[in-house]
Amino acid sequence: MGVYETQGFKLDNSGKRVVVDPVCRIEGHLRVEVNLDANNVIRNAVSTGTMWRGLEVILKGRDPRDAWAFTERICGVCTGTHALTSVRAVEDALAIKIPENANTIRNMMQLTLQVHDHLVHFYHLHALDWVDVVSALKADPKRTSELAQSISAWPLSSPGYFRDLQNRLKKFVESGQLGPFMNGYWGNPAYKLPPEANLMAVAHYLEALDFQKEIVKIHTIFGGKNPHPNWLVGGMPCAINVHDTGAVGAINMERLNLVKSIIDRSIEFTEQVYIPDLLAIASFYKGWLHGGGLSSKSVLSYGDIPDRANDYSAKNLLLPRGAIINGDLTRVHEVDLKDPEQIQEFVTHSWYKYADEARGLHPFDGVTEPNFALGKNAKGTKTDIKELDEAAKYSWIKAPRWRGHAMEVGPLARYIIGYVQKNPEFKEPVDMVLKKLDVPLSALFSTLGRTAARGLECQWAAHKLAYFHDKLIANIKAGDSSTANIEKWDPATWPKEVKGAGFTEAPRGALAHWIRIKDGRIDNYQCVVPTTWNGSPRDGKGQIGAFEASLMNTPMAKADEPLEILRTIHSFDPCLACSTH
Amino acid sequence: MIETFYETLRRQGITRRSFLKFCSLTATSLGLGSAFAPRIAHALETKPRTPVIWLHGLECTCCSESFIRSAHPLAKDVVLSMLSLDYDDTLMAAAGHQAEAILEEIKKKYKGQYILAVEGNPPLNEGGMYCIQSGKPFVEKLKYMAADAKAIISWGSCASWGCVQAAKPNPTQAVPVHKVITDKPIIKVPGCPPIAEVMTGVVTYMLTFDRIPELDRQGRPKMFYGQRIHDKCYRRPHFDAGQFVEEWDDDAARRGYCLYKMGCKGPTTYNACSTTRWNGGVSFPIASGHGCIGCSEEGFWDKGGFYDRLTHIKQFGVEANADKVGGTAAAVAGAAVAAHAAVSAIKRARVNHAEENQGGK
Amino acid sequence: MSLARDSSSYHDMATATGVDEAAVQQAPSIKSMYVYEAPVRLWHWVNALCIVTLAASGYLIGSPLPSMPGEASDSFLFGYIRFAHFAAAYILAVGFLVRIYWGFAGNSHAREIFTLPLLTAAYWREVGAMLQWYAFLRPYPNRYVGHNPLARLAMFFGVFLMTLFMLATGFALYGEGAQAGHWSHILFTSWVIPLFGQSQDVHTWHHLGMWAIVLFVIFHVYAAIREDIMGRQSMLSTMISGYRMLKK
Ligand code: HEM
Ligand code: HEM
Ligand code: NFV
Ligand code: SF4
Ligand code: SF4
Ligand code: F3S
Ligand SMILES: [Mg+2]
Repeated sequence: MGVYETQGFKLDNSGKRVVVDPVCRIEGHLRVEVNLDANNVIRNAVSTGTMWRGLEVILKGRDPRDAWAFTERICGVCTGTHALTSVRAVEDALAIKIPENANTIRNMMQLTLQVHDHLVHFYHLHALDWVDVVSALKADPKRTSELAQSISAWPLSSPGYFRDLQNRLKKFVESGQLGPFMNGYWGNPAYKLPPEANLMAVAHYLEALDFQKEIVKIHTIFGGKNPHPNWLVGGMPCAINVHDTGAVGAINMERLNLVKSIIDRSIEFTEQVYIPDLLAIASFYKGWLHGGGLSSKSVLSYGDIPDRANDYSAKNLLLPRGAIINGDLTRVHEVDLKDPEQIQEFVTHSWYKYADEARGLHPFDGVTEPNFALGKNAKGTKTDIKELDEAAKYSWIKAPRWRGHAMEVGPLARYIIGYVQKNPEFKEPVDMVLKKLDVPLSALFSTLGRTAARGLECQWAAHKLAYFHDKLIANIKAGDSSTANIEKWDPATWPKEVKGAGFTEAPRGALAHWIRIKDGRIDNYQCVVPTTWNGSPRDGKGQIGAFEASLMNTPMAKADEPLEILRTIHSFDPCLACSTH
Repeated sequence: MIETFYETLRRQGITRRSFLKFCSLTATSLGLGSAFAPRIAHALETKPRTPVIWLHGLECTCCSESFIRSAHPLAKDVVLSMLSLDYDDTLMAAAGHQAEAILEEIKKKYKGQYILAVEGNPPLNEGGMYCIQSGKPFVEKLKYMAADAKAIISWGSCASWGCVQAAKPNPTQAVPVHKVITDKPIIKVPGCPPIAEVMTGVVTYMLTFDRIPELDRQGRPKMFYGQRIHDKCYRRPHFDAGQFVEEWDDDAARRGYCLYKMGCKGPTTYNACSTTRWNGGVSFPIASGHGCIGCSEEGFWDKGGFYDRLTHIKQFGVEANADKVGGTAAAVAGAAVAAHAAVSAIKRARVNHAEENQGGK
Repeated sequence: MSLARDSSSYHDMATATGVDEAAVQQAPSIKSMYVYEAPVRLWHWVNALCIVTLAASGYLIGSPLPSMPGEASDSFLFGYIRFAHFAAAYILAVGFLVRIYWGFAGNSHAREIFTLPLLTAAYWREVGAMLQWYAFLRPYPNRYVGHNPLARLAMFFGVFLMTLFMLATGFALYGEGAQAGHWSHILFTSWVIPLFGQSQDVHTWHHLGMWAIVLFVIFHVYAAIREDIMGRQSMLSTMISGYRMLKK
């Protein structure tokens, strides 16, 4: 392939090839290959989704009312978002209107996911890219306490608390059984935090692990369990009864109070632990502004969290909607999921087959037919791959494009679009962070910017939970307890042939499902998922996806320790089960 | 130096006295009587933490997500103190060849001693390349690590039965773990996902008693999978009374009546949801108004709609269930009998007529 | 076809085919023969009652009546329906065991529903003859003292095997509720559920079993009445009194 330019990046695969497989601390199976130049700077990046399950094939012929349960199992990490997308797609196809309460509860389910997923991502999937656990052993607990108290009012911050933790950590390390910390990149020069900050972060790693299980209880209350709560076409399955006999068998005052207490604690944790940690860590890394990739060029968001039920237009969505292309921040394009010209999926470099692979397919007409093959320049064999050939097919992820552009999706995309639209809910927090860290707006377009946007969104979502909780109570007070519309529950009431699209803003970005229903059964079902966008391989024109773009031109401290690769890839919070489904 | 479970507890500030108390509590809570306490204490004092290798095949990671929801014991105590989670794609710091080196090390150093926990399952189609790890089919890694494991835990319905990717037509030919590993004890902990405290309960049982829990014929621990949701469902009085939710959000739904007519699979599903409940006991599917979909049962994806109580019968056409098949057959039989009776009557009349005529001659 | 009356295999053949011309020859002087002993008759009617109860209650278990209003403690409707099912099921099971015992203890006709003379060509000829009779291809059926060969075939499958199947699947389901340790769990649940893979499939097949039995009953009752009117032997009265009357 040699050298070529695309989207402002110069790709050169002549240098030393480094393979990272598996990329851990993500959902699912991802492989990354990069080429380094003589200075250990990444000059070519290849990201590969290495799993496929065939959900779109499995869904064919099934009852559309069951589809949420199947698609929910696309992912247990962003659990629920596919289910919500699915019921919306079916409702769109059948023109089903849901009750106000159902919309409110669905929003709370989705916001709960945002809070939970972002928190777990930051502490348990991403933190070790910034935090050196072993360095924490050298910290002075007293100074750690001072640091903690200087940035937050969080009560678990005494010197004794950190000393105790440090002692335990010491013994743990001395035990020789390092568990999940085994073979980490401890001591790598790319780690910049002082020991005290590392110790504080380790403490919060453990606290967050304890706390995350509380957040999801909102899913449990409305959906019966987490992961994989229950949903319903036409509304929500949890009936409301606050006034009458049998209320204990439904959503009642006690349940609502429990939800409220979880929301309060979530706001507290994000504001007193997550955000301060984020800012503290960022302040030590603000010189490391690699990893922007496509974020300063092309970003996409469908919007989500409809304030009132059944209105999915941009003005009713609390999360922003729109597309920015070619780095033109002055213009936010309108997005239409049903326009055949806008969203198309290509498979030129993906392990699938189309009748005509020069063309992309809109998801209503999408085809998912596997076709595994390696390029002629791949090294190894078909079942023992040493190096992939990115000139040929090389990933189980399809390549979605918006009007032909590769797009980045996710919290950063949402915040950029919200910022450009001058929506104060998104602009003000971003300006606050930039000011606190004393960095220019351009710093937003980076690995760190992605990580920061996620934290801000976590806080935003926690507050919006409180808003919708109030709204639910106000609506019940106004006399409306309805949670489901069953007018079209019976398939006998359905038209012979219909199609519809449903969308959400999943934690990782823009998510949509397209369904065709024929004779009461699923005729075609296609999902284009956030990580399908971000993790997409090249397309026919050689355009690279967001993961690949973000790795470009990043210098590595040590060629055989992929810390920087992990850091940037993790900043997207990749989900490979989602990406290929 | 390798630390024992007891030392782990001690260094967490737990005194010997409270350690022994913990042991006797454990013994009584498991219904073993106080005589077992010293045995538990001894076991915990002398063992290094058992290494656990947690592999991921084709899955959705909800089993890992569920695991970290465990409230008792806390997931962090299980992972950092009770056992040694030496390999787990989802949580481990290392990646790439540094991660794969751990597998080699544990396999050698703890031959026959480590537990292999499997989430998800191997696809066999396309040479196994629907799930590639380190460039190779996942099924190879699974077999390689199973060879020296002490026992295997099949987490969730994926590893236990195949789950969603194995639903018809199972394009990747995903198979449960026991189809490719046949020479090791396999403990199935099904559910999509399993309940967190059931997962940690099974693990701590194995560590505490140093034995595999008693399994039923299908390989599930009897202690958590011995009864159906329905056997201990708190809506059971409504079932017995004949009080059912007839449609979503009706009065019966608001009073928490039985979800049988909404397709609840509680009567055919073996799991601990109605007793242990979910997420620290907050609720379980039925308590939040949706019927059980049978997520811990083999092949639950292919038994017909989640809202039909009667299973779909594929052999007899697209829309059939037992009543449609049987009812149709009975109607056809009834009609045939009626027609036959009519013809018989006519024939008989003719014969009688002929006989009469003959007699007349 | 002529059979030597004194042939040693004559009796066996008569048992296999139900054709017993020797007995018929004597008919004018005997007029009637004692075929169904009291236990068989008693069992027949008790069993019929059980099956009707089981099918009705079973159907309602699968598709319950409209919801009951009020307190859960005010009614026990579904409980009673299930109780009726299980009570009838126990009676059916005990009756079935007794009937098997009588197959050994009773007369030769008492065994007929449990066996099929599969390898006897004459038997299949008589089955063919009965089919021709039902297809209106024969003016008269042969005369049978025991069960007619077609009925015997239907009874072997529709009654003997189906009852076994319903007992096995039914008690397997019953054992699930009765819990591990209960005899029904040990004898049935423990192997039937794993055999089918899971409980839901056992429900489905048990449910289908009901319809198979319903089919049998439709044909059986029709045939019994029709034979009574058009055939050459008595039917309904035989199952009441035990005596078979033969017509010309
Ligand atoms: C659930 C319903 C029924 C079942 C399962 C059933 C089953 C049987 C069986 C197994 C026999 C053979 C008896 C033996 O040799 O032990 C038999 C014979 C007979 N059944 Fe039924 N029966 C049912 C209902 C009825 C009904 C409702 C009638 C009457 C209308 C009836 C009339 C007869 C008669 C007449 C015979 C004697 C047939 C013969 O002489 O060869 N049965 N039935
Ligand atoms: C002629 C014999 C029988 C018939 C026609 C019959 C019919 C049925 C039917 C239609 C169902 C509903 C199945 C479903 O849709 O889930 C059922 C359920 C059941 N039957 Fe039977 N059955 C028979 C014999 C038995 C026997 C011998 C037993 C033994 C105890 C039995 C025990 C059960 C049980 C336990 C259930 C499930 C009840 C529940 O889920 O609450 N049945 N039966
Ligand atoms: N990509 C992705 Fe998801 C998310 N967020 C889903 O739509 O993680 Ni599994
Ligand atoms: S069993 Fe279910 S929950 Fe667990 S990984 Fe598989 S799909 Fe996810
Ligand atoms: S809700 Fe389901 S599990 Fe509970 S009693 Fe009714 S049928 Fe049984
Ligand atoms: S759906 Fe699954 S979570 Fe429990 S109640 Fe049923 S087994
Ligand atoms: Mg897709």
